[in-house]
Amino acid sequence: MRLADSRALVPDLVTTPGEPQADHRLIETLANWCDRYTPWVAIDPLGGALAEEGTEACSTGGFGGDAGLLLDITGCTHLFGEGEAGERALLADLTERLARHDLTCRAAMADTAGAAWALARFAERQADLYCPPRGHREALARLPVEGLRLDAPIVETLLKLGLRRIGDLYPLPRAPLARRFGDQPLTRLDQALGTIVEPIEPRRTPPAFRTRLAFVEPIGRPEDIAAATSRLLAALCRQFEQAGVGARKLEIALYRVDGSVDRTSIGTSRPNRDNPRLMKLFEEKLGELDPGFGVELMILAAPEVETWSGTQDALPDSGAIAASLGEDGTIDLADRLALRLGAENVVRLLPRDSHLPERVQTAGAAALPAATGAWQRVAGMKGARPTRLLQRPEPVDVMAHVPDDPPSVFHWRQHAHRIVRAEGPERVADEWWRPRPDGSRPPANIVPPYRDYYRVEDDDGGRFWLFRDGAYRMAANGRQTARWFLHGFCA
Amino acid sequence: MPVISPSAFAPSAANDAATPVAADLREKVRRLERAHSAQRAGQQAVSLGVPAIDALLPSNGLLTGALHEIEAGPAPSGRVASHDGAALGFAAHLLGRFGTLRPNGTLLWCRRPFGASDAPPYAAALAAWFDPARLLMVTVRRDEDLFWAMEEGLRCPGMAAVLGETRATDLTAGRRLSLAAEKSGVPALLLRGQPAPPQSVCTTRWRVASAATHSTPGLNDVGASRWRTELRRNRFGAPSVTETPTWLLEWNDEAHCLSVVPQAFHGSTRESDARLVG
Repeated sequence: MRLADSRALVPDLVTTPGEPQADHRLIETLANWCDRYTPWVAIDPLGGALAEEGTEACSTGGFGGDAGLLLDITGCTHLFGEGEAGERALLADLTERLARHDLTCRAAMADTAGAAWALARFAERQADLYCPPRGHREALARLPVEGLRLDAPIVETLLKLGLRRIGDLYPLPRAPLARRFGDQPLTRLDQALGTIVEPIEPRRTPPAFRTRLAFVEPIGRPEDIAAATSRLLAALCRQFEQAGVGARKLEIALYRVDGSVDRTSIGTSRPNRDNPRLMKLFEEKLGELDPGFGVELMILAAPEVETWSGTQDALPDSGAIAASLGEDGTIDLADRLALRLGAENVVRLLPRDSHLPERVQTAGAAALPAATGAWQRVAGMKGARPTRLLQRPEPVDVMAHVPDDPPSVFHWRQHAHRIVRAEGPERVADEWWRPRPDGSRPPANIVPPYRDYYRVEDDDGGRFWLFRDGAYRMAANGRQTARWFLHGFCA
Repeated sequence: MPVISPSAFAPSAANDAATPVAADLREKVRRLERAHSAQRAGQQAVSLGVPAIDALLPSNGLLTGALHEIEAGPAPSGRVASHDGAALGFAAHLLGRFGTLRPNGTLLWCRRPFGASDAPPYAAALAAWFDPARLLMVTVRRDEDLFWAMEEGLRCPGMAAVLGETRATDLTAGRRLSLAAEKSGVPALLLRGQPAPPQSVCTTRWRVASAATHSTPGLNDVGASRWRTELRRNRFGAPSVTETPTWLLEWNDEAHCLSVVPQAFHGSTRESDARLVG
């Protein structure tokens, strides 16, 4: 029915513009909230599609009520009780909690996603919403064919043929049905009955390791949260130990009473399942969490784990310092520093085989130092190098008596440095085999750009590392010029 | 005032030299004594490799478990280099010396970059003093973070030495570092790019400025690096003839050793050179 018709029928009809985006956000939040029951939560693709189309959903009579969530609760119900009682309790808990947030919902539980979908929408009695294991065939038989998630024209034709209930389709021969309606009715029927698998695509990859702790009374004090984290961590570490893995990343989520979720995570540079060490890392982060009006549930999950035997592995190369590292606490220190300062600020220096001085030194992960002797090898191949290297070479004004001679005076930061001694040049050519920053390859037939490095000492005893960028060129005024740069400070 | 736990007085434990309680007590006594004695008995000291300097230092070397400060000194013209390669070279030499005590230990290097014209240490040159693979480089944005990171490093058992590069002068932070170093036995170094007002917390304070080198006769090349090194504070050390002992040190990059340049070869007539020891 159109809005104008509705208004004609009911003159004082209250209307509000549809906000599909806001609806979608709400569904997202709800899906997040449902993580408390299971990590396998998906937004119903049918309901979602309708909600995204917005006005379409309203005109086809959906009124936005089509949105749905699919939860795979396999293996999760034991938290609420044994067997069927636990399943019923979960369902009741879900409905009751949503009602507390003023959300009207119909939740059904069945062996297959299709059956639960149909029951949630078309079950006539409240008691039918829970379908006991292996009871979905009978439960579905009573429901209208709309419950099969079919396209509207197919449903219309089925109704015209007098096939009103899903049960009416059971005895029909399959081949004529497929010829008449295509694949859809049979596929949907098989999915609802569980003959073909219908996997639920979760929104977040469910972590393999997680522990949860629900509270009778909401907690809010930082000490309580820390204590709860400690208990969760102990349980999780036991899981790790059984599986022979160590955590690389841990995430803790606080489910607050107002339905929102706050998360924070820690990372370790090495697989770890040492409870006190991980707890120490968490202590730094727990302060950032906001318990709000209270926390009723906490879930600790390990999204990233690595196989870890727990003992230090044999060294890949005998000289690596990594050997002693794990034992002597450096890794723990690096993790702690990285947590506060950022992982990119706690690094190891790795050598790289390169001619360009600024490319020789790169930063690597704190847990993976360079092999012993790698630096000695790189340093041994080069000439004298400065102890400090400017991140960006700074242009200097230089006076040289003869081109190709070391400079006699250079000006840097408003100071003139008279050069007394000089060594050089050491020519460093561009690495023609490397693509340029813009991705193009330098042409092969030209001389690659080069730098001539000089080690100079000024009359104050300061030692500098200068370079001339390429050869002298004839400038517009007829004089020979070249660009000079200061690149480092020598010992 | 250190608190001695009552259990330390248990007679059976006190008689048995092998028990940890007795060792603990002995350690406490040693610390009490050390705070007042010039000997700092029992603490390890690392030779600097220069006999003339080692003779002045307590136990013939730089104490581990202490705070040492190195500041870049002014050049003969009075100008202070904003980035000084020489002070860094000397600091790297000390790191290398301390590193020999724990051959596999990590060297923690904390620094606060100074804007766009920052010149971080260059590992290809540091390789002359120690293996840069041992370095754990930490970059901080605030001085509080720098001191915090250094303190955390000093508490880490696998650390060979901790160096902090800063311009901040924080007396409290310095004292905390000194105490943390004394407790763990891990040496702490502070490297300053410019002279700082004297503070009394460090065990030794060095001022290092680069000095003119000696060219090969007939050539005008840059010789082996020379540093004018002043020992401006020498706690627990032997008194020296002059108020501030000063040496002209030369770093031999091939032999990897530091030596005092004899006075006759200075090739300089500056007044400060007359106060040489050694």
